[in-house]
Amino acid sequence: MRRLVQGFAAVFIAAFVLMFVTHRLNEAEGYGGGKTVTVYNWGDYIDPALIREFEKETGWKVIYQTFDSNEAMMAKIAQGGATFDVAVPSDYAISKMIEEKLLLPLDYRKLPNLQYIEPRFLNLPFDPHNRYSVPYFWGTVGIVYNREMLGGKTITSWNDLWDPSLRNQILLVDGAREVMGMALNSLGYSLNDTNKAHLQEAKRKLDRLMPNVKAIVGDEIKLLLANEEAAIGVVWSGDAAEIIAENDKLDYVVPKEGSNLWFDNMVIPKTAKNIEGAHAFINFMLDPKHAAQNAEYVGYSTPNKKALAYLPKDIAGDRRFYPDLDSAGHLEVYENLGKHMLAYYNELFLQFKMQQK
Amino acid sequence: MKRMQAWGRVYLLVVFAVMYMPIVYLMYYSFNSGGAMHDFQSFTLKWYRDVLSDDRLLIIVLNTIVVALLSAAVATILGVIGALAVYYVKRQRTKNALLALNNVLIVSPDVIIGASFLLLFTIAGIKLGFTSVLLSHIAFSVPIVVLMVLPKLEEMSPTLIDAARDLGASHWQVLSGVVLPFLAPSIWAGFFMALTYSLDDFAVTFFVTGNGFSTLSVEIYSRARQGISLSINALSTLLFLFTMLLVIGYYVLSQKGGRLYGIGGRK
Repeated sequence: MRRLVQGFAAVFIAAFVLMFVTHRLNEAEGYGGGKTVTVYNWGDYIDPALIREFEKETGWKVIYQTFDSNEAMMAKIAQGGATFDVAVPSDYAISKMIEEKLLLPLDYRKLPNLQYIEPRFLNLPFDPHNRYSVPYFWGTVGIVYNREMLGGKTITSWNDLWDPSLRNQILLVDGAREVMGMALNSLGYSLNDTNKAHLQEAKRKLDRLMPNVKAIVGDEIKLLLANEEAAIGVVWSGDAAEIIAENDKLDYVVPKEGSNLWFDNMVIPKTAKNIEGAHAFINFMLDPKHAAQNAEYVGYSTPNKKALAYLPKDIAGDRRFYPDLDSAGHLEVYENLGKHMLAYYNELFLQFKMQQK
Repeated sequence: MKRMQAWGRVYLLVVFAVMYMPIVYLMYYSFNSGGAMHDFQSFTLKWYRDVLSDDRLLIIVLNTIVVALLSAAVATILGVIGALAVYYVKRQRTKNALLALNNVLIVSPDVIIGASFLLLFTIAGIKLGFTSVLLSHIAFSVPIVVLMVLPKLEEMSPTLIDAARDLGASHWQVLSGVVLPFLAPSIWAGFFMALTYSLDDFAVTFFVTGNGFSTLSVEIYSRARQGISLSINALSTLLFLFTMLLVIGYYVLSQKGGRLYGIGGRK
């Protein structure tokens, strides 16, 4: 008995000592007091140096928390048990959050740096007058391909993927809207098509793609492509930038039939406590210099037109990641199709995934 | 017979290889100066420096350990009390019902436990963070401790207690002088089991973290979205070595003086 008590006393003492250490560390980092801004963002989606600079500049301390999907983030915010001052959802998630009244309207007097944002990235269908959100990053969905493995062949359109010579060479991301969208685009339909006949047609077309598909995977697609496990991958542009940086035999193309244009925007959730700090943080990230630094670190495209001047020429001038949007009028933003239609997309995608090769 | 033994060894070797190869692979690449888990370029300690200079990561590691230690200790105390209660229930049917309820908690999926805790905490108005994580870890560890302690209790000879009572021991003396020392090995086993459950739990924690509080499993998961940085390899290596040290410590203690520390069982 005595030994048991001693043993457990030792465990508790160790735990409390560690707790004290953590507390002191937290205080040393400045997380103790009330002067904090909680940022809820995707994993590895900001240059950590910017957080330190923001803290130095404003005196606010940043608690940086991460999520891995829009759905998880929305669930956390809707439950309301935790405080988040700034969050970075994607386009369709923003319109859903607005619908569910999870966001606070922005105060534009506190966001003077908004003037640097390219006007074409504002007033988009998911948040018509940008009452709730301002752009953080944007990008496209496209094809990464390995020139060497394809023997010098280039790829310019979605329809190239159906070429029988590409048997077992294609990796797809595991996203219903992305894959269905690719099939719809290849048929000349809109990404947001809600005509069930068109969707069925797209599904049938996807079925014919199956022999060429090697696997439908998640984030590991980056590693697989960089390691040359497959010659072709359908990915988001930011991931593509990362993969290409790793393996220079790879190239990225936005197919000519059209593709998805997506946005991750900064918002202030209704659970925010420090609204002043949230605006300060958003304004800080809208500053051209900071936006450029962040874009260089993360690899996605910045919507900040002044930031382009601070970016190295080979990044800002890269038409693959900063396509000329005037000529690329075929890029479409996902619309919120509603629960019912989305379920239909998912159903078709699931059927496609389940079929035997 | 000899042949069988040789095959047994081969089998063991294969099993250990399967279990340890990934860890060795991961540790090997934590020294890679290239940025990824392929093409070993040259030896570097950069990732270890990264880990040790990242204060936020350090806080998260400490959080994880604090939650594990506290939740395991509290769950062990509650679990032992629970096991004793189940043991002393007279009616077989009630006993079976209690055990069944206990087992349901063990087999129910983490995701469901996590989601229901999230609902409970938000309804009860408990802020998500350290408290909510600690409470849920205690909750899912208790049934495990009960399951570790109860068989040992059943194994205990009733004559042991009768003898103690005959010699004039009070209820408390029976408990502290006879029952608990007898249970000590299984209590420690339950404690360590709860410790590991808490350390590697992802699903439940994922639902109930918030307000700047995070544990390693959640943090690594959200970092992995952008491809796993090798600093995670370095951190995993450090943690692996740390657990190895713990295991060796436990082994030495139980070898040297099992009786002395009340662990390691009877010899």
